[in-house]
Amino acid sequence: MDEELLSTHLQELRRGTVVLACLLILEQANYGYALLEVLEQHGFSVDANTLYPLLRRLEKQGLLISDWNTDESRPRKFYRTSPDGIELAQTLTVDWDSLHTAFRSLKGQQS
Amino acid sequence: MTSLTDRYVDATLRRLPAGQRHDIERELRSSIADAVDDRVTAGEDPASAETAVLTGLGDPARLAASYASRPLYLIGPKVYTDYIKVLKALLASVVPIVAAVVAVVHIFDGADFGDIVGATIGAAINTALQIAFWLTLIFAIVERTDTRLSPTKTWTPADLPAPPSRRARYGELIAESVFTVAFAALILLSPSFGLKKDGSGSPIQVLDPWLWDSGVVYVFLAFVLAGLGFSFARHYAKWNWPREIAGMLVRIVPSAILIWVAVNDHVINPAFIASVGWPEEATQWIAPGLVAGGAIGIISTITDTIRHARNR
Repeated sequence: MDEELLSTHLQELRRGTVVLACLLILEQANYGYALLEVLEQHGFSVDANTLYPLLRRLEKQGLLISDWNTDESRPRKFYRTSPDGIELAQTLTVDWDSLHTAFRSLKGQQS
Repeated sequence: MTSLTDRYVDATLRRLPAGQRHDIERELRSSIADAVDDRVTAGEDPASAETAVLTGLGDPARLAASYASRPLYLIGPKVYTDYIKVLKALLASVVPIVAAVVAVVHIFDGADFGDIVGATIGAAINTALQIAFWLTLIFAIVERTDTRLSPTKTWTPADLPAPPSRRARYGELIAESVFTVAFAALILLSPSFGLKKDGSGSPIQVLDPWLWDSGVVYVFLAFVLAGLGFSFARHYAKWNWPREIAGMLVRIVPSAILIWVAVNDHVINPAFIASVGWPEEATQWIAPGLVAGGAIGIISTITDTIRHARNR
């Protein structure tokens, strides 16, 4: 299969899931690079150049709240899921579950 | 920070609006530094770690594009179809009109044929470029203004162009036949119209007798009637490109003859002009109008052929 075609479709499939994953993970505040590692550990593969702009976009949409942490020598921008973000995450999770059920029924019909 | 990271960050920030730069710079630098530190702790040397991290981040232009909240295109999908529609409509209507007007003005000034053609083509190209530029600019602005600008109205199947019904096309054919035959008859009979009479009581021809003497009027009408024949063929036979192109050329000939005859001042009978009392220079005024008429005839023949080609 054509590499680019495959990666395009994979990207499309994952695009929404990463947003939900971030909203769920960031119920505990964290910063960009660390979040990247947490996502990797949980099995979500995201590129850094996708994640960092995504975090800014989610903040702009009011789903994340950011704070600059200057405790350490290197200042870091910490993100935390806002109440709106938590609410959205719940809605998206419900939708995700129904999608999961839908696929299972599809497979059930096919088997 | 080494200069490679500096250069990378600069290249990214350069493409971002000033208001966002400071915050993105801090975040980006600390993210890069964290990534490099991780690799160095794992055993890589700092230089290659830095290179690897920046390579992973990719082209600064693309990174800036993801960061920017501005669209990365001039005209987006929302208004693109409208843009194309308006562009086509304007180019198809305004450019021919401007070209015709310029041609007429130059003929008026008595320019020679080469000048007329050159000026007309120049005007046409210039007009087309101006339309394309300004329209693109306007739509680029529309794209960027946060108006609730929905396309003019939502499309419904009622907006589909109606296929010309057989009856409508037949009606067109009848109308064309009637008009053509009447036109030919009028021209052939015009020598006997007694609008003005000369000394011995016989009518003065409106049209220049030279047209009859040289046979040009017969050639003109032959092509006009041949064009009618092609219209019948188009109606009754299947669409056939060679025949249609031939038909289009046959229809263009009468318009071309009109232009040629008007430029050479052989349309109106000078005796008629004298008898009506118009000044001799009247022909100079009439000729541009006829030339414009011929030009419009040619253009409309071409667009008519295109229209039929699309509707076939």
